Amino acid sequence: MATKSRTFLPIENSLKMRYLEQYAHAVVHYSSKYNSHCSYSYAPHNLVGKYVKYPSYGDFQEAYFLRSYGKWWKTSSATQKDYRPQDFDLLGAEDFITLEFGSTVVPREIFIYEVYNPGAVIRIWGRLKIDPKWHLLWEGFPQKCAPKSRKFCPPLRKINCLINIIRLEFNQSHLEYHTAIDAVLLSGYQPETTFQSEIIRHGLTEVKFNTPQTIRELTVGDLEKRTKNQGDVSENLEPVDCFCLLPDEIIINIFHYLDLKSLSRCAQVNHRWNKLARDQTLYQNISLKIYWYLVDTETLDHFQKKIVNLKKLDLSWCNEHQLYFHQRLNYDYHLKLQSIIEGASKTLTHLSLNDNYFVDFDVIGKINQCTELVDLRLHNSFNWIRCPLDKLTNLVSLDLSLTYIIAQDLIQILMANPHLENLNLDLCEKLVLVDQIVETVAMFNKKLKTWRSWKSFYFTPDGIRKFGLCQNLEELDLGWCLIDRDPGDCLLSIANGCKRLKRLILSEWRGLSEQLLMPVILSCKELTQIDLIGIKTITADVCENALFRLPKLRLLDISFCDGVRQSEVEIWRQQYPHITIQRSCEFIVTDYL
Amino acid sequence: MHSLFVTGRLISRALLNGIHNNFSTASDPKLQQKTEPHLVSAVCGFSKERKIQRLAKGQFGDDAWFMAKDKIADVLGVADGVGGWRAYGIDPGEFSLHLMKTCERLVSLGRFNPTNPSELLASSYYELLHNKKAILGSSTACVVLLNRENSTLYTVNIGDSGFMVVRKGRIIRRSEEQQHYFNTPFQLSLPPPGYRADVLSDRPESASSDNFQVEDGDVILVATDGVFDNLPQNIILNELVKCQGERCASRLQMVANSIAWMAHSLSFDETFVSPFAERAFANGINMIGGKPDDITVVLATVAI
Repeated sequence: MATKSRTFLPIENSLKMRYLEQYAHAVVHYSSKYNSHCSYSYAPHNLVGKYVKYPSYGDFQEAYFLRSYGKWWKTSSATQKDYRPQDFDLLGAEDFITLEFGSTVVPREIFIYEVYNPGAVIRIWGRLKIDPKWHLLWEGFPQKCAPKSRKFCPPLRKINCLINIIRLEFNQSHLEYHTAIDAVLLSGYQPETTFQSEIIRHGLTEVKFNTPQTIRELTVGDLEKRTKNQGDVSENLEPVDCFCLLPDEIIINIFHYLDLKSLSRCAQVNHRWNKLARDQTLYQNISLKIYWYLVDTETLDHFQKKIVNLKKLDLSWCNEHQLYFHQRLNYDYHLKLQSIIEGASKTLTHLSLNDNYFVDFDVIGKINQCTELVDLRLHNSFNWIRCPLDKLTNLVSLDLSLTYIIAQDLIQILMANPHLENLNLDLCEKLVLVDQIVETVAMFNKKLKTWRSWKSFYFTPDGIRKFGLCQNLEELDLGWCLIDRDPGDCLLSIANGCKRLKRLILSEWRGLSEQLLMPVILSCKELTQIDLIGIKTITADVCENALFRLPKLRLLDISFCDGVRQSEVEIWRQQYPHITIQRSCEFIVTDYL
Repeated sequence: MHSLFVTGRLISRALLNGIHNNFSTASDPKLQQKTEPHLVSAVCGFSKERKIQRLAKGQFGDDAWFMAKDKIADVLGVADGVGGWRAYGIDPGEFSLHLMKTCERLVSLGRFNPTNPSELLASSYYELLHNKKAILGSSTACVVLLNRENSTLYTVNIGDSGFMVVRKGRIIRRSEEQQHYFNTPFQLSLPPPGYRADVLSDRPESASSDNFQVEDGDVILVATDGVFDNLPQNIILNELVKCQGERCASRLQMVANSIAWMAHSLSFDETFVSPFAERAFANGINMIGGKPDDITVVLATVAI
């Protein structure tokens, strides 16, 4: 809290402490990953310990990779639209990872070893494992960086607090390709005695103006902004309250443009505003994702009192406040979550609970009562296996990526929801009978536009052939689905059936050959994105065909395609400047003896 | 593994201690008492090709090796890429190198079972499938693991690479070759999808595992078939006996060098009746001379 009036006194000057540098000790939570659980390539766990590849630059399996990059993912119709556009994150955090360190320190420096496409880190948070309060250590806009490895050392906010957990937030939307991080180093001063650490924890070394910090009040970061704003307001404000002249309806209409934080502040202005700011129509859509660090049982309770006709609810990421904390608080939070969903079951149409630990069998049971649901997102939640969502019949979008859903339950859902358009099954490892699922989709979900099943290892060419029956399919993500099998003629039936295909991801179909791919290029004229990572048999010929024959093509990923020479790619890049041709750099620095 | 670097540090630390104590003691006796079981190791090898093609660490021609250690175990391994893949435009060294590199990484991450190296080999093999770079080919492999807690050596071997353990001048353990037929060893393979039916591919589970207690001073040789096919057993034994109980990494290195060099020169000797020639003769093939092959020698002594 470095306000202008007070100078910051580093704690290490007044207490004798030990300076310590440490690499991450464990990974606690993450929202995105490239690979499945069984594999250590590209996995979050690669962030543990010292860097292994830095200062080399390239696409290394020993580093942590995020799944998405650039604008390509946002153009899809399956991507979640903001439920409450007023509450947007200025820095646009898309993913996060939480790391635990072995020793508790007062943070002074953090080094992030970025080994591929650096510049995605936008925020760093820190906290103590036993304390639910997060401290913002640094934030900044995503950066455009030169393509070389970088030891990123952001200037940390000067605070005297103890942390042993940090959370990095990423915005990859400006990157050319996947970003990769090799290691994270946290350095700072470690208290030598328990007494010292208690003093620091309770902030006894400095006088503190204690303000209660809930979502209705303010965060540390905003205090500075508010003090500034107050200065401006007092200069310009005339003693007449123009709002007196406006009718309630107009004020409420204006309130509709405000984010939740501003609304909460408005409610503190005067009685009239307080009454107006409680208007039910203001709280039909609620998205607390960007306030994840503030959301606790009390906050949920607060909103539960305001909402009547809740339509859209986004509680993604909103569990960090609770984690590892008190068992009873967890229990309360869990119950509150259930009761909110239950209370809104008649009206709720959109529900997003991505990366939320508290989604379990009980919560799924409550979700099942929300029969109006159109959009359901349960990305990255592992506390449930059985998913008896048999009462939902109106689903249009369903995101079950990174879950343990099993085929039996999924088939039941698919059969009951004829309007389903978007289905995301990335990295679902318990999904064994995928072929049967495709068969069900082809029969019951004629409107399906998006199918994603990145890394489903149980596909057979027969199952994939059935996608030919889904005529409305626009997006087909079958990356890593047929690693070591011969695809046969399954692409032919897709070429014949799915004329509207826009995005086709066939990463690592190592048995694919030119002849098998050509039918798609010849008949799917709508294709804008093709992904052919790691297919050795792809030749320059078929790439040229794709570039030439597909008028709408914008992205062609031929990384690790050894059959295509770099010189040819350079020529194509000049010939087709509107098409992005991705070519992952493999090894720039190799370790020699 | 007790590398030179660590030795250097121990010595310098001992010296520092000495200085502190006014030169009263040259080394700290506690330091030596506290050492737990570990391996002192050395590596040497030659590529079959005379000219130098690659210089990647951990690789000799199509052979690859690794050494890694963790809190609870020291692990060594060699792998021999099957050369037949060159005809298909696949670099045979890539598979073996990645297999070993992945083993090394899994050990350094602590993601292995310290009593079962075959799990390590299997997970390393499956990990290759998850690499964006399509790694194709096949390889034999041999991995030995010294568990510090119970000073037991756990071994796993697939194909004709192997290990040999010598104690007090006698061979106490030696791996057995696994072959489908003459000169065609068991192998882990990731063939191109179209060729799956024509390629010999053995599951990582078919590897033969073993475990036994080791004692202080035991010598462990882990090597590829380039060594065992060209050097008769008694020559190898003669060399290994020299380094029983050796704790100096550089003296161990000299023995490893001489084994590798002998194997290398004999492999190009056209008149020498090599073990390979003997076995060929037993299989009804009339040939004489060494078998030119890549050679990798990983030599280690147990220090308890």
